[in-house]
Parts: sequence; C-alpha cells; structure tokens
Amino acid sequence: MAFASIHVPNFPVQAVVRAEPSLCNKAVALVDGAPPIWNVIAANEVALLAGIELGMAKSQAVQFHAVEIRNRSRVQEKSAHAALLDLGASVSPRMEDTAPDTIILDISGLTFLFGSDENIYRQLMQRASSMGLLVHVAVSSNLEVALQAARGFSGITVIPPGEEAKCLGKLSVRALLPSAEILETLERWGVRDCAALAALPVLQLSERLGQEGVRLHELARGACLRSLVLAKPGVRFEEEMALDFAVAELEPLAFLLGRLLDQLCARLEARALAACAIRTHFDLEDSFEKDFQVLSENSPPKLAPKTYEKVLSLPVPTRNSKMLLKLLRLQLQADPPHAAIVKIILSAEPARPRAAQGGLFLPSCPDPEKLELTIGRLANLVGHANVGSPELIDTHRPGDFRMARFAPASDESTIPQKNATAFTHGSRETPLTAFRVFRPEIQVNVEPQQNDPTRIYFRGMRGNIIAASGPWRTSGDWWREDTWQQDEWDVEVRFDSVSGQSQKISSPRTQNGIYRIYYDSLRAAWFARGRYD
Amino acid sequence: MYTEFHARSAFSFLEGASLPEELAAVCAEYGMQSMALLDRDGVYGAPRFYLAADKSQIRAHIGAEVTSAAGWRYPLLVESREGYQNLCRLITKMKLRAPKGKGDVSGREVVQYARGLVCLSGGEEGPLAHALANGGIESGMKCVQQLCELFGKQNVYVELQRHFLREEEARNHAAIEIAEKLGLPLLATNGVRHAVPERREVLDVFTCIRNHRTLATAGRLLARNSELHMKTPAEMAQLFADVPEAIANTQVLSSRLQFTLKDLGYRFPKYPVPDGKPEIHFLRQRAHDGMVSRYGLNNKRAQAQIGRELDLIEKLDLAGYFLIVWDIVRFCREQNILVQGRGSAANSAVCYALGITAVDPVRMDLLFERFLSEERGEWPDIDLDLPSGDQRERAIQYVYERYGKLGAAMTANVITYRGRSAAREIGKALSFNPETLSRLTSLVSAWEYKDANDTLARQFRDAGFDMQHPQIRKFFELCLQFQDLPRHLGQHSGGLVVCQDQLDSIVPLEPASMPGRVVVQWDKDDCADMKIVKVDLLGLGMMAVLEDCLQIIQKDYGEEIDLGRLPANDPVVYDTLQKADTIGMFQVESHAQMACLPRLRPECFYDIVVQVAIIRPGPIVGKMVNPFLKRRQGREAVDYLHPSLKPVLERTLGVPLFQEQLLRMAMIAAGFSGGEAEELRRAFGFKRSERRMKEIEKKLRSGMDRNEISSEAQEKIILAITSFALYGFPESHAASFALLAYASAFLKCRYLAAFTAAILNNQPMGFYQPDTLVRDAQRHGLKVKPIDVTCSDWLCQLEKSGQTFCVRLGMRFVKGLRGDVALKIVSERAIRPFSSIDDLKLRVPMIQKTELATLAEIGALNFIGAKKVHRRDALWQIERASRRPGPLLENVEEKGMEIKDKTVELEAAPASSAILSPLAAMTGEERLVADFRGTGLTVGLHPMGHHRAEMKRRGVRSAMELLNLPNGMHVRIAGGVITRQRPGTAKGFVFISLEDETGISNAIVTPQLFESNHVVIVHQQFLMIEGKLQNQDGVISVKAEKIEPLRITRAETTSHDFH
Repeated sequence: MAFASIHVPNFPVQAVVRAEPSLCNKAVALVDGAPPIWNVIAANEVALLAGIELGMAKSQAVQFHAVEIRNRSRVQEKSAHAALLDLGASVSPRMEDTAPDTIILDISGLTFLFGSDENIYRQLMQRASSMGLLVHVAVSSNLEVALQAARGFSGITVIPPGEEAKCLGKLSVRALLPSAEILETLERWGVRDCAALAALPVLQLSERLGQEGVRLHELARGACLRSLVLAKPGVRFEEEMALDFAVAELEPLAFLLGRLLDQLCARLEARALAACAIRTHFDLEDSFEKDFQVLSENSPPKLAPKTYEKVLSLPVPTRNSKMLLKLLRLQLQADPPHAAIVKIILSAEPARPRAAQGGLFLPSCPDPEKLELTIGRLANLVGHANVGSPELIDTHRPGDFRMARFAPASDESTIPQKNATAFTHGSRETPLTAFRVFRPEIQVNVEPQQNDPTRIYFRGMRGNIIAASGPWRTSGDWWREDTWQQDEWDVEVRFDSVSGQSQKISSPRTQNGIYRIYYDSLRAAWFARGRYD
Repeated sequence: MYTEFHARSAFSFLEGASLPEELAAVCAEYGMQSMALLDRDGVYGAPRFYLAADKSQIRAHIGAEVTSAAGWRYPLLVESREGYQNLCRLITKMKLRAPKGKGDVSGREVVQYARGLVCLSGGEEGPLAHALANGGIESGMKCVQQLCELFGKQNVYVELQRHFLREEEARNHAAIEIAEKLGLPLLATNGVRHAVPERREVLDVFTCIRNHRTLATAGRLLARNSELHMKTPAEMAQLFADVPEAIANTQVLSSRLQFTLKDLGYRFPKYPVPDGKPEIHFLRQRAHDGMVSRYGLNNKRAQAQIGRELDLIEKLDLAGYFLIVWDIVRFCREQNILVQGRGSAANSAVCYALGITAVDPVRMDLLFERFLSEERGEWPDIDLDLPSGDQRERAIQYVYERYGKLGAAMTANVITYRGRSAAREIGKALSFNPETLSRLTSLVSAWEYKDANDTLARQFRDAGFDMQHPQIRKFFELCLQFQDLPRHLGQHSGGLVVCQDQLDSIVPLEPASMPGRVVVQWDKDDCADMKIVKVDLLGLGMMAVLEDCLQIIQKDYGEEIDLGRLPANDPVVYDTLQKADTIGMFQVESHAQMACLPRLRPECFYDIVVQVAIIRPGPIVGKMVNPFLKRRQGREAVDYLHPSLKPVLERTLGVPLFQEQLLRMAMIAAGFSGGEAEELRRAFGFKRSERRMKEIEKKLRSGMDRNEISSEAQEKIILAITSFALYGFPESHAASFALLAYASAFLKCRYLAAFTAAILNNQPMGFYQPDTLVRDAQRHGLKVKPIDVTCSDWLCQLEKSGQTFCVRLGMRFVKGLRGDVALKIVSERAIRPFSSIDDLKLRVPMIQKTELATLAEIGALNFIGAKKVHRRDALWQIERASRRPGPLLENVEEKGMEIKDKTVELEAAPASSAILSPLAAMTGEERLVADFRGTGLTVGLHPMGHHRAEMKRRGVRSAMELLNLPNGMHVRIAGGVITRQRPGTAKGFVFISLEDETGISNAIVTPQLFESNHVVIVHQQFLMIEGKLQNQDGVISVKAEKIEPLRITRAETTSHDFH
C-alpha cells in the first residue's frame, strides 16, 4: 500500500497567485487584519529576500516598491482547497482531507490506470500545475511519513520502505507540528531536525515530554502508523457560481438562483436537514459611476462595497426551494445590488427540519412560512427598516426608535403575561396625556417673534400660538454625519380656519390644539412632531 | 451684571472640559468682574484659576462641589479664610479615609466645617434636584430647610439653571416656590462644564471614559445639548428675564465672598531651636561652624559673603527654612544617606557652610542673587539629590514623622493627556478596535526631533488611517483638543511641602497611590505660585550608584572613601575625560558629550562644569558651542561683548554659557540690581510675556545708555541675553552635577570593579544598556563572570581573582526570575550547596519551570553538583525535574516528610546518566542567543567578534582601527546598534552608535538618507554603514552614505533609542 501526500507550500500566497497569474514570478506579500490595520501574514521567497518580514505593518511593507502587496483572500484559499480536493479526487477515490493545504491519497493499484508510479507522480504535479498550484508530493508506504515529507521537502520525494527514518532525518521538527511549548523545548535543546529527535532515548524523552514527546519521536523515526481518514462530505452547504457575463436583471438572476437553491435543497434533503437561513453573497462588477449608492435621506452617503451580502433568516427550517426563491426575490427587490453580479455564492445554514404539532388549546397562529412570506412582501413594499416591532433606543435624539424583528408569540407562557399586563393597565386610575407622533414629521411654517413662535401654518391651517413653552433644546451624535440640533416648543394653537385636510390632524370639535413643534437648525426648517391628545 | 457661580473646570477630572485659564479668559472676554470655580471634591484648579483671573483683573471666588453620602453634591462657595480652611479640612477628611478618587461627607461633618461657607441648592447633581426627584416638592422643601440648618439661612441660595430642558424648568418652578416660601434668595447660574460650546464634544468623550462606554453606547449619559458653556451676562439676563433677582443676587453674593487665594495664610514651620533662642541665632551659629570647617578662620571673602547672606536671610525671615533643610541633610548624614543640594542653592555660601551643597560658591564666584534676592519676594528653592530607591524614601518618611501626617505632604503631579494617551482614550470612545488603537499609539513618534513631515497627521496616515474619513477627521480634531487636559492626579517625584499649622487648612490632602504617602491637590508650580515652600527630595540614579560603590569599596577593598575629599585633580580622570572614554559616567556619557570632550579637553574641575553646561539646548541653540571650543583651542580670538563685561565672561572666554553670567551682564552693563537681573531671567524664561519682556528690554537699554555703551554693543548684549535666557543652565547647578560627574569618573577609573557592580545593580539608568556597560568594563580589563546559581546573589558582587577583583553578575539580570525565588536560592545555598538540579527544585519549590529553563539556558546551572555540565545537559535535567509526577506518585509528597527525605537522599547522589544528556552542547552562536534572550547581555565575545574575519574580507573597519585612519577616508563600519538619537537641536540628523568587540564607532545620518532608509535604521539591530570618515580633533565619526542591515546573529540585542 502506498500513500501520496500532496502539500501546497505557502498556501495563502499560492491561493492569491492562482487567481492572479500575472503575479507568478513577482515578489508577493499578503496582508491581513481589521481595517485600517494590516500586517504581513505571508510572503513568497522573493519578497522575503527583498526584506519583507512576517508581521510587518502594511505601511512598512509598501515602502518596498518591488513587492506586490495583496490582501489575504479566504475565498481564494477555499477555492484553492477545493481545487486541491478536485486534484486528489481526479486521481484516487480514497483521499484524506488533512489540511487546507494538504491531502493524502491512497495510490495503491493506480498503476493500472496511470501506468508506472512515476507517471502517477508526474500526473499529480502536472494537474496541480494546470490548476495553478505548485505542490510538493511525497510518497511512502507510511502515511505519516508521506505527510511529513510533503511538508518538508520540495518536488517529488519517494521514500522507499525501510528508509523512512533516514529520509526524514533532515526534516525540520517544525514539520511534525509539535505544540508551541514542546517546540520551544526542542529549540532550547538544539533539536532541530528529525534525526536529532529520533536519536534521543525514548524513555528519557517520555520522562520529559510525556506522550506527545513519544509520538513526535515515532513520527521522526517514521514509525508512526495510522490509517487513512477518508474525507467525509462537508457540513458546509454552499453553492457558488462565477458568471462569465455580469447579470444585472432580476429575472435571469432568479433563474440562476433557483438552480442553485434546487441543488442546495437537494443536498439538504439527502442529509435529512433543512435550511434555517440562506446567505447570499454576490461579487459585483466594478463600476466607477455606481460606487456611490443613493441612500435614503437620513442615511449618510458611504462608499459602496464591491460585494453584496444578505442573510435571509427563516422562522422555521425549510427546504422548500420555491418558497425560498420567492423570499429571495422579495429581498432582492427591496434592496437590489447596486451593480451587475459577476459571482454568486449561496449557502444554507443547516438545521433539523420542523416537526410541527400544534397545541389543542393554543390560539391558532399563522403558518410561520406564510407569515415570513407576508412579512417579506410587506418589507418589500415599505422597506425592511419599517417592518417589525418598534423598540426604543437609548438616545436623546427625539422620537428615535428602531424596528426589531417581529416574532409572533410561540410560547404558552406569554399568554398569561399579556393578560397580566392588560389587567395592570386596565386598573390604572390616573388618566395619561397621550402624545400622538406624526411620522414622518410635518413641515410647518412658523412666524417667530424674538425667537418665540407666534403664528403657525401647516396643512392648510393657520393659527395663532396663544401659549408656548420652550425652546427645549437637544443636539447630539456630533461624531456621526447624521447629527441633529433641534429647538422644540410645546404650543397651544388657536386656528383661524379649518380645511378638510386639517381634520386629519386637529379634532373637528375644537378650534384649539396643543402641538409639539421644533426648529431643525441643520435643515433650517420648522416641523410638527406631534399633537397632545 | 452677572457672576458665574457654578463652573467646573477640567480639574473636575473627566467632568469638565476646559482648563481654568480658558474659563478665566472667556470670563474676561465677556466682561464679567468675578467668577467662581467649583471643581468636584477639590480645589485642584484653584491656583491656576486665581492666577489667570488675577491677570485679567477678575475676582476668582473659590469653592468646590463636595460629594455627600447620598451621592449628590453640595456646591460650596468660600466666603472667608475660615471658610476656605473649613473646606480644605472637609475635603481632606473625606479623601484621607477613602480609596484614591472616592469619598463622601456626612451631614455631621458638614455641620462641623460649615462656617464661612455658602451653599447653593445645586443643579442636576445638587441636593434639591435629588430631593425633588425622589419625593416631590415636599421633599425639596425639607431638603432646603436642612441646608439652612447646616449652613445657616443667610448662607443658602436657591439655584436656578436654564439649559432649555423640560425637567430642569419643572425643577426651577419648584425651586422658586420653595425659595418664596422659605424667604431665601434665588441665584442664577449656568452649571458651566466647558468654556465654549465646541468643547461639549470633549465633555462627551470624558463622559464615555468615565463610564467605560463608547459614544455609540453611552446613550443618555451624554449631554443633551451644548448649553453647559459660559454665557455672557446679557445672555444670562435674557434667560432669567422673568426672575431678574436671580441675576442681581449674583452681584450681592460676589460682594459677600471676600476670600481669594491671596489670603491663603500659609506659614513655614518654625524650627524647634534649643534654648528657645531665635532661629537666626541658631542658623548663624551653624553657618559659622560650617564656615570654619569649610574655609577655616581666615577666609575674609567667605566670611563677608556668608555674613551678607545671613543678613538677607534674617531680613526675609527665612532662617527657619534653611534650618529645616539643614535638618533633613543632617538626618541623611547621620543615616549614611548620600545627599547633595543642587540647583540654585549651590550659589549660596550659607548652604555650602551648612553642608547642604558641595560646591564652593565663594571660590567659584557664583552669584548669590540667582538663589535669593530681596526684590523677587519669592521663597528660595532648594533641591536635594538623594540616592533613588529606599534611601530617598527614608528621608521622605523622616519629614513626615517630623512634621506629622497633616503637616507635610508630597506635591501633586497633574497627569495630562498627551498624544498617545489622548489617542487611546478617544479611539476607545469612537469604538476603534484594540489593534487599531495599539497600532496608532505605538506609531506615535518617539523621536525628539520632529521634522516638518512628522506631524500628527502623518502619524495617522502611517497608522493606516484615512484622513478623509469623517470619523478619522473627528478623531484627529479631538486628539488636538485633548492635549494638556488633566487626566488624574499623580504624585510628584520628590516635592515635599511642609506647613507651620495644619497643612490641610491650606490645601486639601489626598492619599497617594503609594501606601503611606499623602499628596496635596496642587502641583509644584501651583505651590510655588501660592508661595508655599517646598523642598525637593529628588532621587538620582547616580547617587545610588555612588553610594553602592562606596559600600562595595568599603566591604571588598577595605577602604573608606569620602566623596567630599576625593583627590581634586586626578590626572587619570582628566586623561579619561579627554579621550571621551566616559561610558557610565554621570552627565558626560552621551554621544554629544563624547563628541565634545576631546575638543574641550577638560584639565580642571571648572572645565567639567563647563562641559556639563555646554551640551544643553541653550548653548546649542544660541550657537555658543563652536565659538567657545574654537576660542579654547586658540583658533579664534577671545572677544567680549563690551570691555566692561570682561570680568564676567573671562572664565568662559567671552562666550556666555551660564545664567549667572547673563544676570551679571545685566548688572554690569545696565546697572541692574541682583533681584532685577533675576527678574529679567524670569521674564525671558519659559513663561514669557511680551509685555514684560518689552518693559525689561527698555530698562536694559536705558541702563546701558547711562553706562555709555555703544548701540552696536547694546544690540549684541541684548541679543545674547534674550536668546540665552530661555535655555541657559545655572552655573551652580552645573557645578553640582560636575561634582557627581567627577566622582563617578574617579570611581570608574580607580575602582572599576566596584563601579561596574554598582551601576549594574542600579539599572535601568543612564544612557547605555547593561550589555554596553559590561563590554566597556571588559575593554578596560575587568573580568565579568556569568550568572551562576552556586555563587551569584541577586545583585552583582565582587569576587577576588588573584590580586584583582572581578564582577560576578547577579541574578537580577535573569529575565523572568522573581526576586523572592532568587533570594530563596541564595538562602538555601547558604545552608548547604545544591547537589543537583533536582535538589534545587526540591529545596526551592516555588521556582517555576520557565525560571529554571532560563537559568539553564544561560548556563547558571552548569556548576551544580560535583560534575560540571553544559547548558543543554542542564536543560535536559530541568525538563524532568520540573515535570509533575504521574498519578501513581502524585500523593507521595503530601504523605509526609519521611518519603520526602528519602527523595532528598536519592536526589543527593544522582546517577551520572541522569546528569548527562544525549544533547549536543550549545555552539558559540547559540550561547550568544541564549545569553541575550535570558539576560539581555553576554559576558562572552561580542557578536561582531565571531565574524571579524568575514568583516575584514568585506572591508569593514573595527572601531579601534578608525582611530588611526585619516580624515576624509572612505570607510565601512559595522556593529550592533547601541543608541539611535534624533535630537531636537540637530535639524533632523540622526546619530547612530555602533558597537563591536573593540569599541564604539559613531555614524551621522543626514535627514535625506534617514528618510530613504527609515525602516532599516529604525528596526535593524546590526548595521553596516559606509561613508566618509570625519576625524576632527580626535572626535571620530562616519558621515553615512550607505546603510544596510547586517545579519550576523539571531541574538536579540537591544539599543537605547530616540533620546
């Protein structure tokens, strides 16, 4: 039995270079981190020779003009890993997915397919090269030996049976992936390669490094035996589609999404699972003119990202692809991507399917799937920010609130609570002054006299302000772009005339009304915030 | 007219956003005649507010907001001196019993200290608001009645504030009703937190810092609007148009509050003179005794000078002050604590006679007026240098004991926001992630010199911030606004204030972070401004070195050295100084000093005084250094600005180098008195005032006109005075430092082993890393032995090696080794030697594996047991010794001593197989790496020494070789970087010192070369530099043309950077 281990050295760099072949012979350094801080996390040999050091700040690295700096791409790494798996699968059905950068194949008996052993190795190298990967290949009858050798030696390494220890001798102990503590101890001991480690007396080593020491010792001698762990199907349910031509219309996009959803749901069904959320990721076409999104009036303009991501959370797990497509369409209609799509990634978060059993004495609730669809449709009509349950925010900003996700009561325990609340409210004796908020606020015209409002016009009404209390001044969020600065008045207005339209706001029975109005200094305009009932 | 009676400054620490000066300036701008400052639980900002207000002719009312046990605050205003003393005592009482930054007062304490204080009902955090919120108007009424009971009805004002808030207005309605019912006066205030509206942003960020929130999550903790700023009287009158009496009452109250800080009532303590004689008699007696011992009986000049000084001291009633300082010095002498006065005190012959200072001002002809003058009306300032560490603490504790806990306290040190701290706090408030923040703060440049591009904006860009981003922009603006705002109160390193009566009636006292220390609420400048006498007991690393060195000499050499009686003109010392072989010597070891020494070539003590003073910003900026050196070398004719100034400038060859010369120039040329001259120095000093400078210049010119000095000479003299006054160094101070410089040089030259051990035991200090100090000592022939647990102590010790001494490194240099572990090793070793590493582990069970590993790695365990092992053998052994026993033997140790003792026996004679390891011994490079990793230094060969042959092949010259090469030759040097400097005075030039096994070579890097090699110069530890050799008067350096990294070792050497 023979095993071939395939290892992609400097995997993050190779993953990026694979996607950008023009970097092939250049000095490349990868940076990663949370913006705006970036550190060099990987670099190829040419870059290291040029003076780049791992851990260096991006601001320092860019001073090396000959070095190409790129961001680390986990997507490319994932894609490179998938390619590596494809490479393995194209050669042998028995494969171990050892690490993102390493796989092990059982190549016993493959000579019937590929001819000589050398042909197999050559095929592996060639196929890797055609996939844009430069790999190390090591072959041994011992799986671990093949693995270590592939990590430590470049090119093709074939280790004949019985020569494992000799061949691994020159290999750095780092290739055995010891724990940080043991690696430090070995470094202190001056034990740098496998030969030195293998030469240590195992009993005394075990006294010092314990079982891990013994295991490393076996690895260093090429005496560690284990079986191939066959790669299991992944737990990630993700479908990806790169488009040759960018798609900008919803209909053709929906067709593609439908296909991907069908595939996803079929995979979920095969595993007896359902999706509790669908994550949509689009890579968008670069478009200079569309770099700035046109946002709603209150939101600050910001740089649009080059990707579009959305999560469709589902109230109950489902694998109904048609319903999922409807929801996705609604989501896309409500918040369309701002540029044409060049790549689609759809992933499903798996969960156990719903096993529904309604309680006999529970009030009937709408079907959660239908409710979600309805909420989705509503959101599509009025905007996502306007659907749900209102929730107050800890801020001085007048009238500010946010919409929390609407979640219908599903627990019996909520019912008595609701009754209790109702009872408490019902028993309250003191009448409350209610304030009816105008949403959105109504712009009004105000005639001020020495900064106090004296006369007001709005919605076809005009009236004298017979009593005013204010100004009540608030301002804040100065560190944001949507700062505010308002002077509020509580005013009692005696209206001169009442038009039909005004009846919506003022009670038809009285000519007087008490309102809260404010002057927005930033917009230089007057508004009515609401009315006291 | 209106007076603001409720304002907080930034000295309310995170509850106010403007400095007192800013508040006073706005007050003046708005035409107010008075204002009150009420900081939280203290009068921290009162002196600065008083002084700033005084300048603008505004009356500064003093007060404080004092926290009650219920959490609200009494806004208290001081009416009389008694009120001020009560306020200080009340705050002190509250502070001293609570942890730092906390504390509250009870109603009973308030009654005790209520006299002389006026109480307001307060704003949002006041008692009335608290009562109204909790119990409505009835409760509010009760609360105000209680205030009346506490302070007296005539001393309570019902406060109204209007910030356009509904709740506040409801409170005002209730307050007016209560005031009417109780017949109390109303008082309008604005509850000021910042001087101008824009500072509200700073206040909001402070709120976030205080509450550990971000701006995004602080919500309603933030200010509701920007109305907490100073308002003009007209604005306030308009705001309170409906209650005009609230505005009018501010004037009534202002006229009632008579107290200002001018009326502080501070008195220096009386010295307890025996026999009840006047202090001055006792002082004259002590001075006479000292004079006889210092000068003998026949020195008429000294007698005259001392007599003159004593007369002035008597006239100014300062005898007590001198006696108290003398008393501290006497205590130190008795306790064998080295002590020496520094600064302007060294100008006084009385101080010299009393033994406070060690410089003879009569012989050196120092100007007494620089220290004390009648005109100045200030207390003299005596600074005492003491060995840093425990000895200084003993002296401080003596003062506490002598004057009582409430009679003496340390001055405060107000910690203010600087670039890094401001950026960190603001970044947190703006929700920047921790990595971003640490990157930013680490990138804030530490270079002293800032070139035109080295702005905060550039640092932001370097950190990867996009300055176009609005949030980053806001961050940047806030950083600028935060500069110099106080953050919290620290403790000054050595300033002690003492008081005749209780100090807590002069200024509130607080506990310091250090146990047993009490600190006043004012910093040393505030104390000086308030004319409170302070004595600085400063810790000086070199004093500790000298003291330790003397003890080592006494213990090991058996010799008693008296620093006061060192041989005056030791040729070896001067020879060493002339060669700039001065590593480790006080004040003459920096690169700049070394570059000057061979040109100045000191030949006598005064030359050292000049040497200490000349490498200072004053002479450098004033371009005095080169003219002086040229004149000294005879390359330039000596020229005095005016013939009449010859006596003053003769000693420094016509070049003014000292502040005293400046004073004398004014005295001779313009006929100034000593006091007037000192006033001139101050006017041109750090706190410059254009108006005062103009006045004094006019006076100077008229004086010179009277003395018929030509206008040309006048210009020169004025230029010399004005350009030099800002930075000049006092001659007396230089002389005090020169004494220490001479002593350190003498001890290093004559007792190298003792000096080296002492300086190593006091690290970190000085200019060089321990590795460089060891290397320098080795080059001078000293043997330095490595750390060895069988003979090293915690500190470095001397060992006899034949006829000479060598230094054994102490375990204090072992990185990560705890002091108590080392001491346990030493004590166990004293009982009986360790037989093996297992034995060591058994007898010092607290030792951790990492500590053992470091000891093994640096070779400190090589000599345990009968057979010497190598470092890897020891590392092999410690892995087993420090491994926990398996489950089978886990309980053996706990079961009793019998088994344990058997273990000891077993371990006492370990099998040789357990000692020896299968590991190979470390190579030279490996030992080097291990030494630097474990101790930061090596006693072995310098890393460059291992590569000398290769260096020769590459044409690299050693430091020693450079001495014999001609000026202008193109050379290549290489070595480990020991210092990197970019001095503020060097216009962007960078100075790099490289060390190799033969010595130190220096390179000068132009700003352009630095810019293009920034990363290499800053980050690489070994460099190869090519350039032209400059050999000027024995000062050797290489003007760098090419710099590249040199990778010769993995050893993590360190350098001393960015001075």
